[in-house]
Amino acid sequence: MKSQYLSLAVALALTTPLIFTSFSTSAEISVIVHKDNASTFDKKSIRKLYMGKAKKFDNGRNALVINASKGSTQRNDFNKSVIGRSSSQINAYWSKLVFTGKGIPPKELSSDAEVLSTVTENKDTIGYVDSSAVTAAVKVVATF
Amino acid sequence: MKLSTIIVVVLGIAISDVSIADIKFSGYGSIVAGKGLDENERFTADFFEVGQYEDKLTFNPESMLGLQMNAGLSDDLMFTAQVTVKGTDDFEPELSWYYLTYQANDDWTLMLGRRNIPIYYYSEFYDVGYAYTWMRPPSNLYWWQVVQFNGIHVSRSFELGDYSSSLTMYYGNEYTEDNKEMGFYAEQGFYGPNTIEVNEDWRHITGFNWNISGEMFDVRFIYMQHKLDRDYVQNDGSIVVGPRTSQTFYGVGGSIDLNPVTVLFEYNYVQRHNDVEDTWPTYILSLVYNLDEYQPYIVYSKADQERVAGDQFEEHSLVGYGLRYNFTDTASLKIQYDEFKDEGGPNGWAFHGDSSTIAIGVDFIF
Repeated sequence: MKSQYLSLAVALALTTPLIFTSFSTSAEISVIVHKDNASTFDKKSIRKLYMGKAKKFDNGRNALVINASKGSTQRNDFNKSVIGRSSSQINAYWSKLVFTGKGIPPKELSSDAEVLSTVTENKDTIGYVDSSAVTAAVKVVATF
Repeated sequence: MKLSTIIVVVLGIAISDVSIADIKFSGYGSIVAGKGLDENERFTADFFEVGQYEDKLTFNPESMLGLQMNAGLSDDLMFTAQVTVKGTDDFEPELSWYYLTYQANDDWTLMLGRRNIPIYYYSEFYDVGYAYTWMRPPSNLYWWQVVQFNGIHVSRSFELGDYSSSLTMYYGNEYTEDNKEMGFYAEQGFYGPNTIEVNEDWRHITGFNWNISGEMFDVRFIYMQHKLDRDYVQNDGSIVVGPRTSQTFYGVGGSIDLNPVTVLFEYNYVQRHNDVEDTWPTYILSLVYNLDEYQPYIVYSKADQERVAGDQFEEHSLVGYGLRYNFTDTASLKIQYDEFKDEGGPNGWAFHGDSSTIAIGVDFIF
């Protein structure tokens, strides 16, 4: 009896990924900040800001971190290529912090246009948009 | 003055100062069905809530819902409350967390109110199934009869070279009349035929933990001590005074990311400062294989009890095999098979009994 359940679980564990693995194509993502923000960025420093492990830019000012909306292509691509984890794994990470009062995840905006206008107007923001949407009013600090 | 009164007063003052508090709701939940595979066996999946599987399929031991409210009272002051509804409480809502968070500056945070005690690595988010890979943190060592307290926490976050780090110190108390877990043991007759309830007080709960994390790892060091008072309520209403002692907890736990494998580990050592010098060394070792949205895993845990007179007391191991599948960004399906081996000593120390259990569930956040 026991070993039947066990072998069922093992069989599920081994075969299901092969059936359900999905493929997706991704567009280029641009990480953007305010034009006056002279801080330097690399993948690691961006990742730290988005995971709540760093709170300031290297110009010493507090960063207001902006995410694309849940489930958007931009969000999923950014998570995969910059954070290096899937959206669900990142949600699991934040749920540990949110429900113990240890952290607040990045603010979510609903569209590239909204991210662009917020970053244009606010000196201490960082966001990301589809590269094709970038305007001259913001500064691109990295592309992925 | 009771802590809840203090919080209500502070809250009143704070709210009167702002016209519209910025209020947000979020939550988490688990719907879990499970079943023991053999007759006359019992597996305790949740000691504190006495969530147990026997040989009939049930949703009650681990299914639950948590609803959180955050009210921003000012830029640096927030009130948080959590209502939890658990199958083990017949789905009666309970206001289980309520606390104020004051962000003194970028580095210092103060919390005042009712929260989980950070006894072990997973203690604070034990109920948030979505936050970890397994069905549950191994219950054979997440077994303490007190998991919450009213208190104060002071935290400082800082960077340590390339690593981020935080240090938290806390102090508080918890008085449980008719403690649920102890009540279960009383029912089993552990405290004599006339004991019907146990009052368990943990006073002067004082501890600190130090978290340090980098790109590839996350580790937490733990120290905690408290006074323990236990009284036995008799069936004639009288009270038999039980132990007056204290306990000290030491621990280290965390994760190492060796893509695609994650290693999860925890070691705890608890001393009770009584005549027999009880100690409980316990540990967890788990391997998770990250395959896109699938995470097959194995988790082994072992709990032991030693005294100055030897080690023929409580002792058990638990091995779980499972799979987590994130079928959306906010929900995951888990299946886990657990084998509990009771290696307790003679004279009734093998009181948990062996068991084999299967559980399947969905964890979600919103």
